[in-house]
Parts: sequence; C-alpha cells; structure tokens
Amino acid sequence: MDFEWEPEHQAFVEELRAFIREWRTPELLAEYAASYGAGGPELARFRTALEEKGWARMCWPVEQGGQGKNLLYQFLFVEEMEYWGMPYGNLTYTSIGPSIQHFGSEEQKKRWLPGIWNGDYTFAIGYSEPNAGTDLAALRTRAVRVGDEWVINGQKIWTSLADVATHIWLAARTDPDLPKHQGISVLVVPTDAPGLTIRPLHAMYGGHTCETFYDDVRIPVGNLVGGLNRGWGIVMHALNHERVGLAATGALARLYDQLVAHLAEERPERLADPVVRRRLAELALDLHEHRALALRNAWIISKGGTPIAEASMAKVSGTELRARIANTAMDLLGRYGALSKENGELAPAEGRMEWAFRIAPIFRFGGGTNEVMRDIIAGAGLGLPR
Amino acid sequence: MNLDLDPTQELLRDTVREYLRSEVPLDRIRALERDQHWDEALWKGVCDQGWLALPFAETRGGSGSLVDAGILVEELARRAAIVPLMEVLACGVALERFAPGPRSEALLEDLLAGRILPVPAVLEADDDFGRIALSLEDGCLSGEKRFVDYGQFASRHLVAVRDAGAPALCLVDAQGPGVSCRALRTIGRTPAAAVTYRGAPAERVAGREAVAALLLLGRAFAALQCVGSAGQALDQTVAYASVREAFGRPIGSFQAVKHHAANMAIKVVSSRHLAYEALFALDRGRASAAQVALAKASASRTAPEVTMLAHQIHGGNGIIEENDLYFFTLRGKERSLAWGSLEECLADVAAGVHEPVDWLR
Repeated sequence: MDFEWEPEHQAFVEELRAFIREWRTPELLAEYAASYGAGGPELARFRTALEEKGWARMCWPVEQGGQGKNLLYQFLFVEEMEYWGMPYGNLTYTSIGPSIQHFGSEEQKKRWLPGIWNGDYTFAIGYSEPNAGTDLAALRTRAVRVGDEWVINGQKIWTSLADVATHIWLAARTDPDLPKHQGISVLVVPTDAPGLTIRPLHAMYGGHTCETFYDDVRIPVGNLVGGLNRGWGIVMHALNHERVGLAATGALARLYDQLVAHLAEERPERLADPVVRRRLAELALDLHEHRALALRNAWIISKGGTPIAEASMAKVSGTELRARIANTAMDLLGRYGALSKENGELAPAEGRMEWAFRIAPIFRFGGGTNEVMRDIIAGAGLGLPR
Repeated sequence: MNLDLDPTQELLRDTVREYLRSEVPLDRIRALERDQHWDEALWKGVCDQGWLALPFAETRGGSGSLVDAGILVEELARRAAIVPLMEVLACGVALERFAPGPRSEALLEDLLAGRILPVPAVLEADDDFGRIALSLEDGCLSGEKRFVDYGQFASRHLVAVRDAGAPALCLVDAQGPGVSCRALRTIGRTPAAAVTYRGAPAERVAGREAVAALLLLGRAFAALQCVGSAGQALDQTVAYASVREAFGRPIGSFQAVKHHAANMAIKVVSSRHLAYEALFALDRGRASAAQVALAKASASRTAPEVTMLAHQIHGGNGIIEENDLYFFTLRGKERSLAWGSLEECLADVAAGVHEPVDWLR
C-alpha cells in the first residue's frame, strides 16, 4: 500500500493551481454563471488557454491528440477545477467528444471534433423521453431512413442546453422489431433543422432544461454515429464518461469550506458553539469518506481496470453527500440560510448553500439514479443474485 | 500510489486468514467467551509464526510496516480472535520509535521472545484520554486504571502517568505486588480489567512523545478492528442473502436487500481506506491527530451501522449464538468505543474544523 502522490502529480497540481489563480476572474465566473456553461467571449478566451495546455485531454493516447498521461492526472484536474468552480468542459467536451473519437467515422471526427475542442460546438444530449428515463431502452423516438436521409419523429425531455446548442446527440429507435436494447442508434441533429421545436422548462435551481419535439426532422445519413442499431453501447460508453464528474469531491469540499469560512467571518459565536462544530465535524468525516471512494475509483481506472462497483459507490456517496451538506449548511445558518444570492450581502456565502439545496436532487437521480447504482454495487460488486 | 495491498501484503493476508481458519475453530472462541479467558493457544501460534515482529525493524525480524501490522489486526478481528495483539504492538512500537535507547531495546527483545506481555493502561475513572492523573511518586503507583484490555492476563502494564506533571509511560509488573485486577464484562466479550495499584513498583520508560504515539497507534489499530468486524459481517451477509430464499427467490435478489448491502459496502470500503491511510501516515511520522481521529470516527460509525444492517438481512438467524454474526456485532461495537468513540473522535475533529484542509492531496 502506498497512499502517496507521485512528485509529478504534485507538480501538476501546483501548475494547475497557478493557472487557476491567473484565470479565475470575476468576469469569467459571472459569464459562466449567466450562460450556464454555454459560452461567451471570456469563456472562449479561457477555453483557448485551456486547450493550449492540453489538460482536458491529457490522458488520451498521444496518437489521438492527447498526452498519454495516467488517469490520476484527470482526477486531479477535475477535482481542482470543480473545487474552484471553474468551467473545465461541459458534457460536450467530457462525454460526447470522447464518444465521437471512439465510435465516429474519420469523416465525422474531422467534421465535429475541432469545433468541440475549441468550444464552437455545443451538443445537447437527447436520451430521456417522458416515458423512458431510468428505463432508457424503452425510448420510442423513431428515425426512419428515406433515401439519403433519416426522418425523425418523437419527443425528448431533459435535453439541457438544446436552446443554445449547435447539435443534439440523439438516441432514436431505428428498428422497432429488434429487442429494445438492440434497435437504437445515435444520430447527430443540428439544432437549426426544420421540424425541431425546442421548449425551455424552468427548473427550481434557477436554470432551465428543455424538451425537444421532432416533427419530420430530416438529417443526412452521414449523421448516424457508430453503426446502425449500435446506439445502446454508445450511450452506455458516454454515460460512463458523464459519471466521472458526478463523483468529484471538489465541489463538495468547496461548499463545506465556504460554509466554515462564512461562519468564521460573520458568525464566530455560532462557529464556537460545540453543537455546530460537531455537525461540521460530521460533514468533514463524510467528505473524507467520499474522497476515499472517489480516489479509489480514479486509481482503479488509472491502472487499466474497470471500476464498475467503485464508480457507483463514488457516485452514490458524492451525490447523497451534496444534498446532506446543503441541508445541514442551511440548518446551521438559520433563517439566513433561506436567503438567495439576490439578497446581496444579506445572503450568507453569496447564497451558495441555498442554491446547492435547490440543485442537489439532480445529482442523486441524474447520470444513473442512485437506486440503480446500488443495484450495480450489490450485483456486479458483491455478487448478489439478479 | 497503490491503494490496494501489494503482492507481499496479499500473501500475508491470505496466509493469516488461512491460518486462522484452520487453527481457530469458532467454537473454541465461544468457549473462551464463556470462560472469560483469552486464546493462549492462538497467541503462541502468532508468536511462533513471527507475526509479532511485523511492525518492528528488519533487524528484529519485522518489515517495519504498520500497514503490515494492520493487516494482521484486521484479519484477527475478522476471526473474532481473543488475543492482545494490537495492545502489545502499540506498546512495542511506541517504545521502539518514540523512546529509543537501551531500555527499550531490552524490552523489545523480551517482548519478541515472549518473555513479557505488556498491554497499555491509559484510561481512569472519568474515561477521558485528556485527563490522565495517576502520578508516578518515588518509583511507585497508587491509584486506578480502567478499561485495561487484557489487563488481568498481561505480564506488564505500560501505564500512562504523570511524572513531575508531564505525561510519561511507566512499566509495572502486572502480576507483582500492589497490583489487583477486577475483570470487566464488556459487550465485546473480550477481557478487560479495572486495575488498582497500591504502591506498585513502576519504572519510567518513556516520555510525552511516546504517550501521544501510543494513543494514536491504539486508535488506528482499533479502527482496523472495527473495519474487520464490519467487513466480515458484510461478507457473511452477502453469502447468506445469496442462498436464503423467500417467496421462491434468494433474498439477495430483492432490491431492498441489495440496497442495504450496497450501503454496507460503501461504509466498509471507505472506512478501510481511511484506517490504512492513517497507519500509512503514522508510519511516516506524518499523521496528524485529526487524521487518526477521522479514521477512527469513520470506523466507529461503520461497525455498528454495518452490523445492524447485517442483522436486518439475517433476521432471527443472526440473533442466535450458533450463528457467527454476533461476534462481529458485539466486538465491533465494543471496538468502536475503544481508543476513542465516534463522539470523542468527532470532538477532536471539531476542535480543528476551522483549520484549512487540502482536500485533494
């Protein structure tokens, strides 16, 4: 056993922290918050700088444009960026790009990847439907081949970013006669395609997601990724990439630190209260337990393993903890805890705890609901019968 | 970085596990519990195998690794063994590393040769590690220590005292004059004693650093005992749920049972990681009191939570003593209180909550 980081990992963290100190400006953070990750001039400048460093893809093989680094670098990168609330790549970058790289044709890679890496392209993800969520393979949106085109009809929901995206990464049924997991394909739909209707759904965390309606939407046959009826494997691959970020400790540690800093500065008498300190200590304990699981997950991947149970453990533990931190933080803040950031200096810690409480539910069911994650831990991890 | 056992450590774990499986019948443990005794036969075996030397310097036949010693501690807990291994190792390591010199050398030689069996005697009537009052006066001790694990069977007590006001450790002949032990019956069913010293001759062998080290070592080892109990309870539960049927299916196929098991596994994996991480840091002299407190808080919380879920899944079968589950429930809870309960450890963490932590390194 050896719990030590290698010197090169430590050096990387130092370099990364210096980079973050340089780029973490109020302007950048304001733009990031206002555009909910979609884009803007500051973000574009920042993404260019990040792209020059090559960090976001540093663990990719060299021949695919990466640096061939050990996956622990990726873990440190995501954790640190999450901690500082920095935009390090949305799902287009972390999930769709790798999937196109893995499953796409050479022509498709040339067509879409450069725009993904430089931020020109944003892909919204169209998996879920009103009647196909956790049971995703029940999806019914149809794509029918007519000549050189696919004609799409149906409805998707939780198509976040669709209103600002350039493309939709769509899972559609291309063969209704095959068993439900086998008749699905992945198609790339430009958001300006005629017949596509996008309707925003305003969410309680202040942002919005979208539902998208497909009414005889026509796209070229060349927009089908990874082979006819091969969509299920592609979706699972992309979801695995998506879950890595969901398990990060960084954002949670940041919330905790902000809570403690607020109490220390504004409510020292409350921080001196042994009951308050006891509850904070318990959150610190939870955070350390979660950090252990997140690190184990990354470490197993870095050795070339597939941490099926460990990934699910980290996902469950991190997302449950996020809700617990937000809830406890608001309790410790009392009535001030209810104040949102719009209240200016009256809102404790800029209203982050109040906001964290509103957004926390998403993480528990999103990216694979925690109940399914626990099934995976019990089945694939512990070997309990189906 | 390597977050798992390396091949040598895996071999050690497998060897110990196999040895305990073949040499320690669980019915013998039941008999020892009834007789309120300890497992002298196993102790002899542990000494003969050379495992006692594990955390000590290579010149003494060890690997110098607390993590290796931790593997032994965890495996013994998984077999519900009744031997004072962690107590003896904590004494020996505190002396070897924090009170170097000819006296400690001689004591370690005696310890490894089986000539002495020392156990720590720390807590007093008010059960508070921070308030040790027993004072060394003219080479003698008069007063009481409580919760001295294996105190009635040890040959020496390594007693935490005040010497001219400062923390120190002194050695007392536990079977000698002026020492009387009253056996305590704990939920863990392992031996412990309340000890009264009446002018018992005592030899000062170490100072403040060794006292602090002894407390951290005891805490980290006790964390692994909790983890061992919880881990064994989980494994036994998975095996049971895979074969026990209800409504024509193994109960382990029901989602409610799966979710209990998944939550148990999350607890065990994270607590085990933190416990070994603490030992690793202690080995390098870099463990803060807060880190060890976090590890023990985690383990102290995990053991009762996991074993209670194990009982829920076992139903009535887990309650009867013919089933092995009770070993881990009872030992796990007792160990979760030993060397710092969840509340005591969280209080230590709470004392430093305002101090910055580098979460990611």
